[in-house]
Amino acid sequence: MRRTVVSALLLAFLLGSAYDIVADEEHWPFSQYPMFSGVWHSPTFTWLRLYGVANDGHEFALDANRYVSPFDQSRLPKVLRRMLEQRDGTARVRQALGDLAARYETLRRDGAHDGPRLAQLRLYEVEWTIDSQARNVDHPDRRRLIAEVQP
Amino acid sequence: MIRRWNAFWFAPGDPVTLGVCRLLFFGGLFLWRLPYDFSTWGAYSSVFWMPIWLFDTLRLPAFSPDTLMWVQTVWKASLFLSAVGLFARPAMTVAFVLGVYLLGLPQNFGQTQHFDTLVVFASGALAMSRAADAVSIDAWLRPRRADDAGEYTWPIKFVWVAMAVIFCAAGLSKLRHSGVEWFLSDNMSWLLWRQQYHISDGEPLTRWGIWVANHGSLARAMAASAVCIETCFPLVIVSRRARYVIAPAGLLFLVGIRALMGPTFEQFMLCYVFWVPWGLLYSVRARSTAIGATSSPTTTPSIATSACCTTRSGNDRHVEAIAPAASATRQATVVN
Repeated sequence: MRRTVVSALLLAFLLGSAYDIVADEEHWPFSQYPMFSGVWHSPTFTWLRLYGVANDGHEFALDANRYVSPFDQSRLPKVLRRMLEQRDGTARVRQALGDLAARYETLRRDGAHDGPRLAQLRLYEVEWTIDSQARNVDHPDRRRLIAEVQP
Repeated sequence: MIRRWNAFWFAPGDPVTLGVCRLLFFGGLFLWRLPYDFSTWGAYSSVFWMPIWLFDTLRLPAFSPDTLMWVQTVWKASLFLSAVGLFARPAMTVAFVLGVYLLGLPQNFGQTQHFDTLVVFASGALAMSRAADAVSIDAWLRPRRADDAGEYTWPIKFVWVAMAVIFCAAGLSKLRHSGVEWFLSDNMSWLLWRQQYHISDGEPLTRWGIWVANHGSLARAMAASAVCIETCFPLVIVSRRARYVIAPAGLLFLVGIRALMGPTFEQFMLCYVFWVPWGLLYSVRARSTAIGATSSPTTTPSIATSACCTTRSGNDRHVEAIAPAASATRQATVVN
């Protein structure tokens, strides 16, 4: 009896996995594991990035996970992009930026990072031309302001 | 068909190997996740909430930070108890159920990442298994003789198969979406360069990715190796020779991703503990220790039988499946 139950669960795992692979769908924890499966040709790419503005007007990129934890630099731009694609996208992003600014400040008070207190939090779409030594990481070619909030 | 199914999954196995796997897996997961605070996910407003099918279907919400704090405390305690093997069956069940929720929770915030899926599957298998029959406080307090040695094989083989499925699916996905262009073009160079721009969940541990990206042939060779390792990984299930080559290659591949590109596959790597025949290593070491301490052969059986509470034939068959060259040594060691 026990072996039958175990076998049924093993079979369920195999069938669930096979379905997602064949159908090219994702039902976490089952998945077709599509990471990095596309081909990259373009020498340029765009990304959503948060920038903080300190009280003295200095603007700096929140390009490390310690500023946005528990989000990371992969998940955060994607969730913001998905928000923008929804109806009232900009309003949603503004609300999200409020949350992110509060989180930044909590992390700052907890000593998780040494960034300054924020006067503003901005979301930009940034574009880079990829450099073979990645020397322009801090200097994107173009920035387009999406939204900003005052904490 | 059914006979072959049973022969594969339920071949007689070694409780020590499974017990050590349980100890290392849950112990490693406990240490890995101990500093991580899931409760902060509960503080974000609803605009972030984009539920995956599992949470949507089960109507699971993001609980409040206070509730999440309790949930994660219970989960971490259950990981610890599962590792040491105290109240192991309920602990492993709790570790699995709460683990599905907590590890799945971040996936509802805009992006599904794949670092934890194997951990979830492995936890589920262990929760169903008799992994605490050896190398556990439960076994020490209430020793029990194994009545079905096949119970110690299927959880380990399940992790092997799950890992093979994951690797293979990732390889097939690349071939399906991009074909051979994925590794014949400059794709890998662009990927490696792009990963330097702070866009990954973790920063690359080294800057070697830039060097590789600037050597196109090397990048293409690396890409071809990646697809080859991924798609061929299921061979480890059917071929012992392939296992010795492809399984370590898969681990190196994950280390390479972490070092050159950034994605954090540490918890996936943790599941490699299931590839090591711990029972064999234990008994070989016990034998050499016994021989070193006294040349009397009468000490050996007691060490061996205390380590393994299954049948002799069961142990030996499992050991032979993993490391035939050493099984002769073990047969001399395990004497009931």
